[in-house]
Amino acid sequence: MLQSVLTELGPWNWMVLGFILLALEILVPGIFLLWIGIAAILTGALTLQLWGLIWWPWQVQVLVFLVLSVASALIGKKLMDARRADDTDQPLLNKRAEQLVGRTASLDEPIDNGYGRIRIDDTTWRVSGPDLPAGTRVRVTSAESGELKVEKA
Amino acid sequence: MLFSGLDILIPVLVVLVLLLLFVSVKTVPQGHNYTVERFGRYTRTLSPGLNIITPFIDRVGAKMNMMEQVLDVPTQEVITRDNAIVAVDGVAFYQVLSAPQAAYQVSGLENAILNLTMTNIRSVMGSMDLDELLSNRDMINEKLLRIVDEAANPWGIKMTRVEIKDINPPANLVESMARQMMAERNKRAQILEAEGLKQAQILEAEGRREAAFRDAEARERAAEAEARATEVVSEAIAKGDVQAVNYFVAQKYTEALAKIGSSNNNKIVLMPFEASALIGTLGGIGQIARDVFGADGKSPRPSTPRPPTTGPAREQ
Repeated sequence: MLQSVLTELGPWNWMVLGFILLALEILVPGIFLLWIGIAAILTGALTLQLWGLIWWPWQVQVLVFLVLSVASALIGKKLMDARRADDTDQPLLNKRAEQLVGRTASLDEPIDNGYGRIRIDDTTWRVSGPDLPAGTRVRVTSAESGELKVEKA
Repeated sequence: MLFSGLDILIPVLVVLVLLLLFVSVKTVPQGHNYTVERFGRYTRTLSPGLNIITPFIDRVGAKMNMMEQVLDVPTQEVITRDNAIVAVDGVAFYQVLSAPQAAYQVSGLENAILNLTMTNIRSVMGSMDLDELLSNRDMINEKLLRIVDEAANPWGIKMTRVEIKDINPPANLVESMARQMMAERNKRAQILEAEGLKQAQILEAEGRREAAFRDAEARERAAEAEARATEVVSEAIAKGDVQAVNYFVAQKYTEALAKIGSSNNNKIVLMPFEASALIGTLGGIGQIARDVFGADGKSPRPSTPRPPTTGPAREQ
């Protein structure tokens, strides 16, 4: 069945398959049909050039299609990662601790044995830094998994 | 056929690759973090966006919600330090800051936070009196937040708030609290009334004192005036003729007589005085006339002052 479809319609089959997959990608959640669709279209383009050559039978076409599927997914991921830093206008979304970097506050409790507490946005945060008496103004320098590092402001 | 074995393999490969892509391409929605386990061991966290994990060896472990979440603390009975039993419920807000810690450091995160909060509500409220409890909610919230936040720190979460919603003492306690409040207010009202009364009485006494002072002053002034008048009169008498005084007295006598006579409902006139004295004064008037016009109708001579007599000279 697969063989007959692939041999009879040739390159246009790949194209049709590719565009159907792209259409399905819009309907179905999850972003994996896109890469297969792209691969199918590329395979179709190659077949258009290499149609009828003896080393381009349908089996090879399918293998190329599979390799292209994986490759397009990986390349797509790379492209996304490269643009990741500046593709959002809210890079600190859901990162509550990181949002506080640069803010200043007064120590509620003295920093003793490396840990104290400050009050920001009507809640208290555990902070680490050099030992300081209560009431000192401190600046948040960095945040790692819920722990704020502070220095004297 | 060259690819006879391959013909069977190819469809299998197609299915396999599709499956692999389906499994390894992971789109993480904003507000979530996924943890990745390599052969069951945590390796890394997937942040929101497009991610690819290595098929076969990597698996998505936990899907952590990184948004702030609300936890309803159900009603529980708390015994206060002064042995009042109150029903308390509350609400807690928390946010996962570190997905792996929240996923692997504690089993059943929500249940853990809930139990921690409930037990700490008991311990904080059990160390306070009922009156303190009802009036210091801010302080209770602050204490709770601090304790629960410290305790939940190893789980990679941040307690942003812990708030007490309702504090319900039992009905009979509420009733006696209302009675106490009424009594307090009544007491205050009564004290105020008594204060008012006291003030009024003080003011009144002050008024009386002032009035008495002034009355005394007035009497003094009147006495002084009387004395002065008497002095003036006696001086005048000393300087002038006693007969002049007699004249005034006679005038008063006759006026009084006229009044007594004219009263229409008295047929009997009581004359409680010596009628002869009146006649004596008339004699005094005759004396004045004589003094003024002289016995023989000449011009009057200057009168020499004479000591006054109490009555007319009968022996003349």
